[in-house]
Amino acid sequence: MDRARTVKAPAFLDRNWVSSCGLISGQQRGRLVLDLSGTERIDSAGVCFIELLGRMYHEQGGQFAVQGARPGIAKQLDGGKAARAVVTAAPPNEGLFLRLGGGLVSAVGVAVDAISMFAEMLYWSTIGLFRRQDIKKGAVYEQMYQLGYKAVGIITLLSFLIGVVLSLQSAIQLKNLGMGIFLVPLIGITMIRQMGPLLTAIILAGRTGSATTAEIATMVVGEEVDALRTMGINPMQYIMAPKFWAISLTMPLLSIIATAAGIFGGYVIALLYLDFNTSMFLKELVKVIKLEHILAGCFKSMVFSWLIIWVGCYFGFRVRGGAEAVGRETTSSVVVGIFIIIVANAVFSFIM
Amino acid sequence: MNMNTNSPVVSVEHLIVKYGEKTVLDGVNTSFAASEIRVILGGSGCGKTTLLRSIVGLIKPYSGRVKIFGRQLVDMESDADAEVLRKIGVLFQNGALLGSLTVAQNVALPLEMHTNLPPKVIDEIVRYKLAQVEMPHAYSLFPGELSGGMRKRAALARALALDPPLLFCDEPSAGLDPVTSAGLDSLLLRLRETLGITVVVVTHELLSIEAIADKILFLYKGKPLFDGPYAQARAIGEGPVADFFLRKETK
Repeated sequence: MDRARTVKAPAFLDRNWVSSCGLISGQQRGRLVLDLSGTERIDSAGVCFIELLGRMYHEQGGQFAVQGARPGIAKQLDGGKAARAVVTAAPPNEGLFLRLGGGLVSAVGVAVDAISMFAEMLYWSTIGLFRRQDIKKGAVYEQMYQLGYKAVGIITLLSFLIGVVLSLQSAIQLKNLGMGIFLVPLIGITMIRQMGPLLTAIILAGRTGSATTAEIATMVVGEEVDALRTMGINPMQYIMAPKFWAISLTMPLLSIIATAAGIFGGYVIALLYLDFNTSMFLKELVKVIKLEHILAGCFKSMVFSWLIIWVGCYFGFRVRGGAEAVGRETTSSVVVGIFIIIVANAVFSFIM
Repeated sequence: MNMNTNSPVVSVEHLIVKYGEKTVLDGVNTSFAASEIRVILGGSGCGKTTLLRSIVGLIKPYSGRVKIFGRQLVDMESDADAEVLRKIGVLFQNGALLGSLTVAQNVALPLEMHTNLPPKVIDEIVRYKLAQVEMPHAYSLFPGELSGGMRKRAALARALALDPPLLFCDEPSAGLDPVTSAGLDSLLLRLRETLGITVVVVTHELLSIEAIADKILFLYKGKPLFDGPYAQARAIGEGPVADFFLRKETK
């Protein structure tokens, strides 16, 4: 049997001594006796330190004891034990497969919840309207103003700048090859089929998606959603349906505005850098643009709008907790929203 | 909904509610009669708010059932449940007024959604309800511009908008000064006297309980420990119920 090692604690067993004594680090084997005969005061760190040492020695097969504690100190140490007795035990250390399985089950749960939210959104915004109309009068127009009209400025400006940058980069290469004339189909088709809808969707995912999540999450946290339920008002329809229709109607229009602004950016570069004139640019543009390109762009932007509002609502309704949770879900909503839009755009590029 | 006058307005049978593995309500049986003020009380974390939220259908029970006006709430989105929900009013702890609407719009909301009344009549009802809770000046204010007590009064006006025969209040006095709290208590008493409504109040404020309770349901660790008249509860000499009223810690 090892001889017991005795350590004398100071008069004030506080957090400074706990950090410097070095008893926590290393192996907790053999026997350790902590002599508290000279200890007059002890702080919370000291109480927890003694409790922790006892547990660590016990778990590693060693022995730990306290001696000479004065009645006041002993009472504090007993208080520490009593307080911890009601604390829920820490979760057991799970194995790799258990954690992987748990993660998979949780991911499936999230996917099922998200899909069911999408189905509910489509139902309550369309067929569900024939069953009940829990929508406030004028809510769709209000949302169209908030989600659509107020985004026109930023979307126009950014699309114009993207059109300028895209055209400038292309024009340099095309001019070197003597194919400057191809700038018009390049910028025209790119903006109509890809950049117009995509840029609009990304801007709205950041702007509208985050606003939607923050609004709904704040309502959930403030029990406003529960209040709607107890008033017999369907919160899905009351909150989601106006947003669904507003974004479905405004997003294709915003996408057309973005496309026009981007093409205008290309026109400016063509004029300044490639010595085009207006009629030449328009003639080339009309030649390449077909109705199917415009319809494809509109269809894409319509689908993107549903994805934005779906993600925004999903993260808003799933919030649990307080203000911090609202911020966390809003961030997740923007990240996931942009990610889903880019993935959907990639899928559309293959099939359309 | 035809109800026998003697049949309870709310009946709770063997209600068990769990949050994960934790049992919050453990076999609650009770019933609330018409026109009574029933106070659900108990210490923090005993399941008072959970019971109220289970009764109004916001929490799905693990087992057991709740009937309001003889009807069990199954799916709050269903038309049948919406019919029952129109007959109840709920005053949430923080008021839960919709922040984007003015006080008047909040009060008008259930009227706009559930009736075909002309806007002018709705507006008149809104003014009447706000006067009833002594808040006529808050008509065009937003919830963010109101104090805690005013917000609760406005929320009470909204809860009463459809003249429900049953009103649930979740800790109406929480966070209010004693004078405002007493004002809210007398308002509830007046509503019961004038409208004859049943009021179910969750609280642990002793002064409020004394002022308004006809009967109490005392919950202790998720179980009903006492269910009966207030005077009888006060006569209990020992145990958690007596300790609660004597403000003693139960050992």
